[in-house]
Amino acid sequence: MSLLNGNGDGGCGCQDACSVGSQARPEAEPENANGTSRRRFLQVLGASGAGAATMAACGPPDFADKLIPRLVEEEGITPGVSDTYATVLPDAGPEPVTVHAQVRDGRVLGLSPNDRFGGGASGLSSLSHSTLQDLYDPDRVSQPIRRNPSQEEGAPPLQYANWDDATAALTDAVRVGGAVLLTGRVTGTAARFIAEWARLMGVEHMAWEPFGNGALAAGTGDVSGGAGVPRFDLSGADRIACFGADFLGTWLAPTQMSADFGSARDVEAHRHAKFTFVGPRLSLTGANADEWIQAHGGSEGAVALAVAGVVAAARGVALPAGVPVVAPESVADAAGVSAEQIRALGDELAAAESPVAIPPGLESQGADARQAQAAVAALNEVLGAVGRSVFPGGGAPEGTTAGFADMQALIGRMRGGQVRSLIVAGCNPAYALPASAGFVEALAGVSNTIAITPHFDETATASGWVLPCHHALESWCDAELADGAMALGQPLMHPVFDTRQREDLLLDVANAVGQGAAFGAADYATLLRNAWTERLGSDDAWLDALRLGGASAAAWAGAGGDDAGAGDDGQAAGGGAGLDDYAPSASPSGTQLVVYPTAQFYDGRGANRSWMQEQPDAITKAVWNSWVEMHPDMADELGVERGDLVRVTSEAGEIEAPVYVYRGIRPDTVAIPLGQGHTEYGRHARGRGVNPLDLLAPTADPGSGALAYAGTAVTVTPTGERGRLVITQGSTDDQDREIVHAMNVEDAFHEIEAHDIDLVELVEAAWDSDPNSPYRWGMVIDLNSCTGCGACVTSCYSENNIPTVGEDQAALRREMSWMRIHRFEEETEDGDFQTVQQPMLCQHCGDAPCEPVCPVYATYHSPEGLNVQVYNRCVGTRYCANNCPYKVRRFNWFNYDAPGRGDDQAFPWPLNLQLNPDITVREVGVMEKCTMCVHRINKAKIDAKEEGRTVADGEVTTACQSSCPSNAITFGNLKDPESEVSRKAKSARGYHALGELGVRPAITYLEDVTHRHMPAGGHGEAGGDEEAH
Amino acid sequence: MATAEAKVPAHPTLADANRDITRPIAMPEKRFYLVLGVAAAGLALMFGAWFYQIGAGIGVAGITHPVFWGVYITTFVFWVGIAHSGTLISAILYLFRSGWRTTINRTAEAMTIFAVMTAGLFPLIHLGRVWYFYYLMPYPSQRQIWPDFRSPLVMDVFAVSTYLTISALFWYTGLIPDFAILRDRAKGWMYKIYGAFSLGWQGTVSEWRHYRRIYLYMAGIATPLVLSVHSVVSWDFALSIVPGWHSTIFAPYFVAGAIFSGVALVITIMIPLRWAFGLEAYITENHFENMAKLVLLTSLIVGFSYATEFFVAYYSADPIEIESFRWRALEAYALPFWVMVFCNVVVPQALWFKKMRTTLPALFALTIFVNIGMWYERFVIIVTSLAHEYEPGGWGLYTPSWVEMSILIGSFCWFFFWFLLFSRSLPVISIAEVKEHLAHEHANGHGNEHGEDDE
Repeated sequence: MSLLNGNGDGGCGCQDACSVGSQARPEAEPENANGTSRRRFLQVLGASGAGAATMAACGPPDFADKLIPRLVEEEGITPGVSDTYATVLPDAGPEPVTVHAQVRDGRVLGLSPNDRFGGGASGLSSLSHSTLQDLYDPDRVSQPIRRNPSQEEGAPPLQYANWDDATAALTDAVRVGGAVLLTGRVTGTAARFIAEWARLMGVEHMAWEPFGNGALAAGTGDVSGGAGVPRFDLSGADRIACFGADFLGTWLAPTQMSADFGSARDVEAHRHAKFTFVGPRLSLTGANADEWIQAHGGSEGAVALAVAGVVAAARGVALPAGVPVVAPESVADAAGVSAEQIRALGDELAAAESPVAIPPGLESQGADARQAQAAVAALNEVLGAVGRSVFPGGGAPEGTTAGFADMQALIGRMRGGQVRSLIVAGCNPAYALPASAGFVEALAGVSNTIAITPHFDETATASGWVLPCHHALESWCDAELADGAMALGQPLMHPVFDTRQREDLLLDVANAVGQGAAFGAADYATLLRNAWTERLGSDDAWLDALRLGGASAAAWAGAGGDDAGAGDDGQAAGGGAGLDDYAPSASPSGTQLVVYPTAQFYDGRGANRSWMQEQPDAITKAVWNSWVEMHPDMADELGVERGDLVRVTSEAGEIEAPVYVYRGIRPDTVAIPLGQGHTEYGRHARGRGVNPLDLLAPTADPGSGALAYAGTAVTVTPTGERGRLVITQGSTDDQDREIVHAMNVEDAFHEIEAHDIDLVELVEAAWDSDPNSPYRWGMVIDLNSCTGCGACVTSCYSENNIPTVGEDQAALRREMSWMRIHRFEEETEDGDFQTVQQPMLCQHCGDAPCEPVCPVYATYHSPEGLNVQVYNRCVGTRYCANNCPYKVRRFNWFNYDAPGRGDDQAFPWPLNLQLNPDITVREVGVMEKCTMCVHRINKAKIDAKEEGRTVADGEVTTACQSSCPSNAITFGNLKDPESEVSRKAKSARGYHALGELGVRPAITYLEDVTHRHMPAGGHGEAGGDEEAH
Repeated sequence: MATAEAKVPAHPTLADANRDITRPIAMPEKRFYLVLGVAAAGLALMFGAWFYQIGAGIGVAGITHPVFWGVYITTFVFWVGIAHSGTLISAILYLFRSGWRTTINRTAEAMTIFAVMTAGLFPLIHLGRVWYFYYLMPYPSQRQIWPDFRSPLVMDVFAVSTYLTISALFWYTGLIPDFAILRDRAKGWMYKIYGAFSLGWQGTVSEWRHYRRIYLYMAGIATPLVLSVHSVVSWDFALSIVPGWHSTIFAPYFVAGAIFSGVALVITIMIPLRWAFGLEAYITENHFENMAKLVLLTSLIVGFSYATEFFVAYYSADPIEIESFRWRALEAYALPFWVMVFCNVVVPQALWFKKMRTTLPALFALTIFVNIGMWYERFVIIVTSLAHEYEPGGWGLYTPSWVEMSILIGSFCWFFFWFLLFSRSLPVISIAEVKEHLAHEHANGHGNEHGEDDE
């Protein structure tokens, strides 16, 4: 498309690399612009391609009539070429995530990580990526909704309203007094603005996150000082012990910690930190561990305290003040582990040079959460990790002011009629609080309830008014990041629906009550800009921040002094560890319940995104449902197997869900994922799965006010019925076929040392690409780095217009994912198992079995070594898929976007606006599979050709590669001896999956490396290097 | 066969033959229309299901990842297998001068053609985008793309279409003298139609001389096709790398299986046909016994092939191959596997007994078992191999849907629909050959093959 532009220098002015350069959007900030004009610009931008007028009318826009090329091009906009803007997703998940968004023709098409300021580091998690589907969610509230005041029989309960009435209702709610504004995490300018607004309006502001880190901040502060949550940097660690947190999946800063974790275990650089996981269940994180100490849920902190004692004794250092020495024997029984294990862990940690301990996460958060956090902080103190790997107060500010205990207090006041108006803006307490807390019932005592939310969620449904607000990608926003950096976000497109920015609504109220002047700005865009300009000192600095997506810690702190931002409920420096009476709480008799957040749904916010529903869970590989994980021993005892429906009963309630039998869980424990079981929230979330919060009693940790997710006793009874549990992986046993390998770390070091081959010669000798072509595209996937988080999968869905198929079709194994992350359990010498996660995608074989069997040349070998699929030519014999040994070809059994598919329709309006125009939407009856992002390759080749050169290494990144937090995926040209992919593919750990078939895959896997001892012959030499490459 | 003897003479004359064999053409009965109606209803079911599938998407079938081929390809191979009996009996036995083929070859050939017609539907039915089926043909395209001749599916297109063409021509060649007989007995528009098809046959000596030569040549051309077509069909599987498919014994194994199932179906059809049309004098127990012997022989070959497959899997010491066959016999699809073994290997052993070979109701029941077993054989080969191949993470199961089952049932109705029309419009036994045979017999005073019958 850029060739059609006719504007010589415009053609390359909008590529990714340049987009962060100031020339990308020359008129984005006119000389005397204020925020409004910029917004207007974006509206025009939206109108130019996507037909904003029809879009605002909330119907499917009729593009066919509007495809008229411009006579005079908008300067800086090339049709068909994406512009990249930096922005931030403040509430995407556990952390604010800085991203680059690709915008084309007025709509956001894709996201990629922006690692300049640390938010999200080098990857983009599934959850963050899927916020794109939130933006285009067909179930978003399209205009204000009110509960029908008419009580007549047959009157509809809800009715649409206009914004004037909606704003008036909000103003009234504030005016009458006694109002509470309940938000989620807010930091930065938004936090200061809301605090100020609340003060002026006489409204009480509470910021509450269901998965808040209050206990972490408090407990760490008790021992190590520092206000706010700590930051962990694992990259330099040589021994890691995790006491329960799912830090690679859902806890604190998972993308950054995944990257650090990969770097601490970079075996090619001759380091590989041994990783011990302490906890009741091998989570995504635990599955990556070299050792598992099976402590009861909730006892991990006590184990850590005992370990700290061992370390202190071994190193001859004193425990921090107020931290008692606890003998391993005194906690071993209650924690369900042996004292020897504790002692061994302590000795190993003590002997390591730079060990680090990671505290319990949400799934281990019991009624002693603060003490447990303090215990791990004490361990980190004696390990010397504080200041080296642990930075108290260095994490991204929590941005909350309320814990579960505060919410309980609020519920009490609501019940007592002391809250006259409740404005919920940015959280969903009706879902995310345990039902036993009684939030929904307490709403009856509140006369005005107003939800400011993009979604018609449980809280919105229970509210009198629903005021739809912008998605983060339509909003001005900023967010504080770890270590004092600041992220800045900007609206990237005309709003999809008739929505308003949340802060603008509050400003409208302030104006209505005559207090607007106090803010010095007519709208939040101006307010934000003023704040940043003031802080950074100049308009240019503001423009730079906008362009780059934020300001570094130095730039932000430089001008503004020590304002640490609002929302930190920090502690004074340590001293009162409060651990004197700390002992592991007696584990409940009978079966213990673990509820845990998943990387797909987190606290439930991902549940209406079809990408997330169809993203196989990292452990169970289940989709579209909830399940109960239990050990094979317990399953035998109950006489149930995978898929049987069981009833889980606690004192607070009961739920029924199908069983998943899993070796990685204690035999006396069952685990149920959080985030499903919505009663509202949209077509995909509603009525799907179960919400294990129903089983929890409303118990708060007295120390931190956090909800005790751990420590619930349940009884599990078979119902005798079969449930529906859709599992997307056939077997977790790779049968010692050459599919995944794990090798012992010592062997790995030894083999890497002795290894050198001339890979390029082998590649050229194989003639897998045209000898005249300078390219043979290939990929290296390092199973040692891969954590199994699934970020690549979501990225692939987003980039390649992969349809979701819905539960019924997924139950037939018809999910369309081009990449599958398989979890295999490799047997170790001692009868235990090592989990190996493996991304399986088209291997682009040099001698591909799929190619000769296609009767119509719909799949063939490109001159650059790619195995190409021509959708137009495919008639759908499916022979290629039969003959693919990797089973990576996916077939379109239906037109998955047909409106007749109801809720299973893949891209109902406006989700279709996210479709990548570079990629075909495939029709029924054609085969598809990974293309190695051939459209990105072609774009790079065209660019290179225009400049008369070949494509440089690193110029093409595949979608999966760009999202991978741990850099497990490397793509490039195997014929270039200097390319990163060539260098990595030469590793002694390199092997080809099913190499004995001789199909010469373009993907080289690097063996997983573990400190466990794998049986002889399980890895490596088989196949030999010559054959393998 | 006491009832039969009342209707037709034990030793028919030439005129008897004309009368007896053409009798069904003259007088369609109520029961004929009843059976035809059932077949037509099945046809409606099949085409209804197929059109539904085209409209809604191939996904209404149960085939899925990783079992991309299921009932459709199973049934395709089944019908191609059925199609073998006709040409085998007509051409090969003709070349071997096996006189006993005379009264069954016409029906067997008709079955061949209708079976190929049935089989030919399935590659279309199973396509994801049937509206582009012509991409498989080497038609002159502006884009200059031809099909990929390396693909077994393209070989299939040619093998099956060649087989259909040659079988039809061979059948028609044999029919020419009979068309003339029908023409001579017909009046009005039927006279014109039969007359056109008889190509002006007068029965002159030079006509007969040319006719015998062309029939011989056609038999010579058709004979290698018996071996080639099912070999090519077997390459659909053998040329892949799927464990359980990738096997060098597939071609002979499939050909033997095809003859096995084809002859079994000829028996299945001939027994009721003989009874319904009163042809006991022409189709004798001797014919059935000979065919039963063929069934027994091919059953032994098929059983040996099953054993060979397992032995080769074991002997290869390839754990993937071994696992595939272990799984086939013992896990999710053990039932179809053992049904196959029972029907194809165990049941036909009864044919060692002459009593079994000549007791027609029992023989009829036995061949039903063989038909079922041979369908299951293809199902077992296709489905169990795909469900459990190289990549354990990709393993999965397959359950046929109602659409597939409807089309499977409908395919039998499609076959019988054509067969029923054939049975009422053309002589089900080659009159010319029978008369030739009778003439010999009369000349020799009841000798040769028929002697056994008479005892």
